[in-house]
Amino acid sequence: MLRYNFIYELRLLLRSRWIQLLSLLLLVLFGFSTFNGEQKVQKRRSDIAAAKQEVQESDQAMIKLLDSVERGMEVSVPYWTIPTSPMAVGNYYPRVAAMEPQPMSFVSTGQADLFTHYMKPTVSGDDFTLNFTEMSSPVQLLFGSFDLAFVIVYLLPLLIIAFTYNVLSSEKEQGSLRLLASQPISIGKWVFQKLILRFFWLSVLATFSLLATIFLVGIGPFQWGAFLSLLALTLSYMLFWFALAFLVNLFVGSSAKNAVSLIGLWVLFVLLTPSVLNQLGSKLYPMPSRTLMINKMRERKAAATERQDEILDNFLRDHPEYAINDSTQTRSFYHRYMASQEVVKEELQPIVNEYEKQLQKQQTWSKQLQWISPAIVVQESLNQLAGTSTDDYENYRGQVMGFAEVWREHFMSFLYNNQNFSQADYPGLPQFHFEQRKDKSVLTVPILLLMTIVMLCCGLLASKSLKTGKVLS
Amino acid sequence: MILKTFFKESKEVWRDGRVRIAFAIVLSLLGIAIWISARQYQNINEQHQMAETTERAIWDNQGEKNPHSAAHYGTYAFKPKYPLSLVDQGVDKYVGTSIFLEAHKRNEAQFSAAADQTGLARFGDLTPDFILLFIVPLLIILLGYNSFTKEREMGTLTLLKSQGISSWKWVMGKWMALFFPIFVLSAILFLIAGFILSNLQDFGVFNWSSLFTMFWIYTGYYIIFINIVLFISTRVKKSGIALVLSLSVWILACLAAPKAASNIAETKYPYPTRQEFAANVLKDKQGGLDGHNPWSKESKLLEQKVLAEHGVDSIHKLPFNFDAYRMQKGEEHEAEIYFKHYNHLKEQFTRQSNVYRGLAVVSPYLPTRFLSMAIAHTDYATHWDFADAAENYRIATQKFLNDNFAENSSYGEWAYRADADFWKELPDFNYDPPELRTILTNNASSLWILGTWMVVSFSILLLTSKTI
Amino acid sequence: MISTNNLTKKFGDFTAVDNLSLSVNEGEILCLLGANGAGKSTTINMLLNFIPPSSGSATINGLDVVKNPIKTKEFITYIPENLMLYPSLTAMENLDYFSGIAGKKLTPTQLSNFLEEAGLQTNAFHKRISTFSKGMRQKVGIALALAKDTKVLLLDEPTSGLDPKAGNEFGELLQNLKNKGVAVLMATHDLFRAKEVATHIGIMKGGQLRQQFVADDISLSQLEKAYLDTMNVTEAMP
Repeated sequence: MLRYNFIYELRLLLRSRWIQLLSLLLLVLFGFSTFNGEQKVQKRRSDIAAAKQEVQESDQAMIKLLDSVERGMEVSVPYWTIPTSPMAVGNYYPRVAAMEPQPMSFVSTGQADLFTHYMKPTVSGDDFTLNFTEMSSPVQLLFGSFDLAFVIVYLLPLLIIAFTYNVLSSEKEQGSLRLLASQPISIGKWVFQKLILRFFWLSVLATFSLLATIFLVGIGPFQWGAFLSLLALTLSYMLFWFALAFLVNLFVGSSAKNAVSLIGLWVLFVLLTPSVLNQLGSKLYPMPSRTLMINKMRERKAAATERQDEILDNFLRDHPEYAINDSTQTRSFYHRYMASQEVVKEELQPIVNEYEKQLQKQQTWSKQLQWISPAIVVQESLNQLAGTSTDDYENYRGQVMGFAEVWREHFMSFLYNNQNFSQADYPGLPQFHFEQRKDKSVLTVPILLLMTIVMLCCGLLASKSLKTGKVLS
Repeated sequence: MILKTFFKESKEVWRDGRVRIAFAIVLSLLGIAIWISARQYQNINEQHQMAETTERAIWDNQGEKNPHSAAHYGTYAFKPKYPLSLVDQGVDKYVGTSIFLEAHKRNEAQFSAAADQTGLARFGDLTPDFILLFIVPLLIILLGYNSFTKEREMGTLTLLKSQGISSWKWVMGKWMALFFPIFVLSAILFLIAGFILSNLQDFGVFNWSSLFTMFWIYTGYYIIFINIVLFISTRVKKSGIALVLSLSVWILACLAAPKAASNIAETKYPYPTRQEFAANVLKDKQGGLDGHNPWSKESKLLEQKVLAEHGVDSIHKLPFNFDAYRMQKGEEHEAEIYFKHYNHLKEQFTRQSNVYRGLAVVSPYLPTRFLSMAIAHTDYATHWDFADAAENYRIATQKFLNDNFAENSSYGEWAYRADADFWKELPDFNYDPPELRTILTNNASSLWILGTWMVVSFSILLLTSKTI
Repeated sequence: MISTNNLTKKFGDFTAVDNLSLSVNEGEILCLLGANGAGKSTTINMLLNFIPPSSGSATINGLDVVKNPIKTKEFITYIPENLMLYPSLTAMENLDYFSGIAGKKLTPTQLSNFLEEAGLQTNAFHKRISTFSKGMRQKVGIALALAKDTKVLLLDEPTSGLDPKAGNEFGELLQNLKNKGVAVLMATHDLFRAKEVATHIGIMKGGQLRQQFVADDISLSQLEKAYLDTMNVTEAMP
């Protein structure tokens, strides 16, 4: 039966122009979304490059200034920005801490439109108030982006529904089912084969359109490994929807009823479940009010300012290593300020941690429950693949905070030793290197496939007890 | 004829078990959505109130301090939540809720809810606007896709035609049968929303006319969908195909078009990155007067100008503290720079809005969404308005502080401390969102687009009804 | 080849087929006559296991249809009242597909031979079914019976809607199949055609087989009278 189904399914699909229509649709959708994604990645790259370029230029200016000062020449900049002061370097000549896009970043915008991709932490800034959000129109954030992940997660299932909702019911409605049912075959198996064949052809089309668009749009560097993960994810998600269509075809009935049921399932899995889970998550692990955090922060800061001198003394007692080579014992605004910053930071750490902890909890919770809807699983996995998931930005945030600490530490010893910054110190400036996350999940595709296979088996088993009469009536 | 068809169709629709189930599902979803939103709204409002009073207390109790220190210490403007955000959350999740008001710097609103949530948040929320904008049109499709195709399939079409009926009356009957339940459903929803809102404690500026306007806008949106769904049903032979076509329209209008629009808008009229923006502002600032830098060229120029104006030869002889005066002038100059840069942003936003308007040709969702957000005070324009009001307040606050500094101290007297009671004299920050009338005027183009959609789709439906 | 034993089908209170026992042997054509709702189609549906019987049993080639739903269909070709095929496939392709999924791999020559034997004009072999009349589609159905080397042919109102010439051709095709040893069960309203093609004739009413004749023993007018008499007997209300 498979041989004949194979030959004639293709012929039927070609003659009903399904194959042509799907190829066109897939090419257009993949093409447009990949193009959009790639454009965003390009912009991100050029933004980072421009920022780095700017730092290079200002570094050259700094070296020139240092040179002039070291030679005892007059300089025409405000005195507090002269880079012999370590605090001036730390504040006015920051490094770019950039999160470079990954090879597959074009796949999913994820959180990339919400968060920034490069920061320039300074010595006297408050790390915990660093604003990691990007300056983007909230309307854009609300509507989201027409990226490949959107096509795969939202639109592909709808294409599959249109492609499969009437596999059995159309036979009934056009009258060929009676002849078919009088053949020595099992109808359940027949539907199964038809759907598997349609899955096969759609997979072939999807693979080729994906490859074609990637080469046409000119994604580089192309990585086979990453591409294969993308493909595996897409195909297993497609198979999930085919399995659903299989069950609905077997048990529901007329074409229109099938379509309505499948659309209902789509709304449930793609629209409702994620939003309900999100709302439940933020209800269960609510973020403490940020405005209240601000209030606390300001109270602490005010308190710290009042006892600045005391704090500085304590600080130097606790951190003798900073002032080890200081012979002048000069104390300026920054000596006091940096010391109280440190104290405020320590005091606020528990409050700041609260946010991280709640976000972590929400994250863990949603990771556990994501299996309720494969749409969430696939979206999340695509984000991970693209390096644009919440985890990735959390990781980046952590690294930037760490770097900010390193940057501050670097200048603290200069400050407390009352040591000037010189040209010779320039090469020793800390640099930021972004590390990708390592803990990427590899189990998604197998679990998704397992779910699907279970559904298919249930369908096949149930179809054995399916009465032909029920199908025919 | 119209009424007969209406009753017959309504009966048929009501007898269909699936329809009743669908109605029940939509109603209960709405109930949940309203309940969740009401809880959230109350919660946020409490937090807001608390933050506002605490912040004011912090400001008032600064004690004796130099006014410029107080200016650096700064204060916060909090964005209130408006009652109709219960119906449409709009972009609220994606914009910050508080703006730090300090000397020399215009800050953006910080701490958006979306940044504090997981990636799940990007799927959207189960809120009334989600149901109103996405699910109710789906319900319309479900109720109406086979309105005409079923007559074809059952063969009753030929029978009906042989009765010599006037086809537009027949279409109107079917139209009403589809419109009536949807109208009742949304009317119930809006009544409940109004009832809840008018019973909420401290509900701010809720008024029924805004709610009614919103209701009519959604009704218009549904009329457009009804017209489209019925039109497809009259043109197509099979129910299945009618359903798939109607759904495609839905996908295009509600899902694809907004996202595509957002991509096009962003590529054509991009925003600078936050760092870029900051760098640009800094560059402009460096070229101008800096209140803290008495040695710069601009400071010297100002000094000469002021000395000339007052006819004295030394800043010590001025009747006010020149440090504070320079500070204020610097502040004004910086405010101008910010005004320029934020204006650029605003221009980009306006151009982006035009892209969205342009794409409203393929999507009635877009004008509806924008109108609904605007009336609910949850759109981007209201956020701009709030940010501008906060900026004006910041400028006024700086002037208030610098003036005190200038009047009560002499040049070089940085040790001056203002009275501990002085801070209380600063007026509160008050923000009133635009009135309904203003909103409607500002969004007149969206109203026109929606109206055109309605008229055109309705005429096409009626004009083509002869050839069913 | 076909046999039913006390076959009964109830839909709720309504008895569609009532204790029906009949048999059709190789080379026989049994025509079941009867009004709408007499139980003819229900009988055929039960033989195909489209509907499970309420009680009693039916066998094809000695195999119980309920217990061997797939095996028994290997022997059967069923031509419904309005035989629908895939409109976008040609006659050849339809025949190839249906015989193929029934387990017969045939070469194009074999396929066209069967179509020719079923009486389809040669120029229609490669035309799409969407252009075919009912009679032409039925010929493809007969070709399928030939291709499957069928033992049992079940026909539901095959001649309704055919013009007399096509009806006549169809009768000839049945004779051909009968001569090949096929057992044919045909439900029909058409007394004339039944008399012409059948070897045996049964009259059904209320789910029961009321009368049975050997076709050669009875003239058309006698058959008509017997039919009307059976129909006119007023039943006592149950």
